[in-house]
Amino acid sequence: MSSQSPDIRTFLDVEEQIIICLNNQDRHALTLIYKSYSAAMFNIIKRIVKHDEIAQDVLQDALVKIWKNGRSFNRSKGSLYTWLAQICRNAAIDKTRSKDFQLTEKSKDSVDLVSINNQPDLDQRVDELYLRQMIDRLPENQRTLIDLSFFQGYTHKEIAQNLELPLGTVKTRIRLAIKQLRAII
Amino acid sequence: MDIQEYISSGILEAYVAGELNEREMKEVDKMAEAHPAIKIELDEIFESVQQYGASTGQLPGKEILDGAMKEIREEEKEEFLRIVDEEEAVRRVRTPLWAVAASILFFISLGFNVFFFSKLEKSQQEIEGLTQSSSLLADQVDQTNQQLDYANLRIAHFLNEDNIHIRMDGLDISPESFANVFWNKKTNAVFISVDNLPEPPHGHQYQLWAIKQGQAPIDAGIFDHNQLIQELKVIRGNVVSFAVTLEKEGGSPIATVEKTYVKGNLKKT
Repeated sequence: MSSQSPDIRTFLDVEEQIIICLNNQDRHALTLIYKSYSAAMFNIIKRIVKHDEIAQDVLQDALVKIWKNGRSFNRSKGSLYTWLAQICRNAAIDKTRSKDFQLTEKSKDSVDLVSINNQPDLDQRVDELYLRQMIDRLPENQRTLIDLSFFQGYTHKEIAQNLELPLGTVKTRIRLAIKQLRAII
Repeated sequence: MDIQEYISSGILEAYVAGELNEREMKEVDKMAEAHPAIKIELDEIFESVQQYGASTGQLPGKEILDGAMKEIREEEKEEFLRIVDEEEAVRRVRTPLWAVAASILFFISLGFNVFFFSKLEKSQQEIEGLTQSSSLLADQVDQTNQQLDYANLRIAHFLNEDNIHIRMDGLDISPESFANVFWNKKTNAVFISVDNLPEPPHGHQYQLWAIKQGQAPIDAGIFDHNQLIQELKVIRGNVVSFAVTLEKEGGSPIATVEKTYVKGNLKKT
């Protein structure tokens, strides 16, 4: 059982803040969404469009749509994240149906999925470097699972196939990897 | 359902990773709302993933957010301009042809109005000028008539055989001055003809005196400097001369002899 740290309370407040900003047509909502959900949103888009560059375009489109539909967000129908995820999915699906996406798809023979960039950026901040050192202590296979599931847009099924593991094992190991990650963060 | 079992099932990780469809996600949302422990667990997963992404350089770049913000600003600007344009277009479309025609007629009539008004103004000025010169003429005629009346009256007084005529000449204080007195022998009425007397100073008036031998001057009346022939008081008896003095306005019972302007003696008969 995890204890409720001040950080988490701040995080909880962020969701409230975002909803208030959206209702007030305050652009700060987008900055907060980006700060808290950009990884998950980007991942959802990558699951559908596969290409990094296209995923970036789609994420930008999705942010604009989030802004335009901000007032229509209804809390009783689900959480903010469920709503964001739906907009990202729809934006990504729209993209796959566009002509320029289909052309890009043809020009690339295989999807460049497993190029995980583990090299830290030179301008990373000190606290990020420290966190990075901690993350490097995570077992390699756990890091791979986090990367594939939360950043590279792989489905659990795809991961199971790629790593030649049973689907249940993949799910358990992802859960374990996140647990380890939370422990060091 | 056992909450711990639910959390351990890995469904929350699947939720964050986008593994679940919309319906499944909403089920998780319901669970999280009902059980704070699940909500806390979810928030921690989100935060861990986000931090992991930041540390490993796997977050989407900030330029994407900036791009979206720029796009929103531009769209809002366009929307604003479009609304302004539309409003203008609506205003333009709603102007019917008859209104355009009416406007044109209005401006033409305005032009004519300005033209005719300036003409009218000019005519009025001309009339005003004519009126002025005609009233000037009338004044001159009036003045001439007065002078004629005066001349006729003067002649009449001169010709009247009942009148004694006394010419009064200027004394030292006003040598240029002169005036005439007509004294009717039958009615004893005294008339003065103001011929050449200087304008009296403010608050002063001329006064005529009848002088008898061995007596103080007798008041024959004050007179208006502007009226040329005036009937004054009735004077009887043995008058030897008439004189005009300058007195305070309203006249004086006693003559101010040193201010005698003109004086004339009666011819002895």
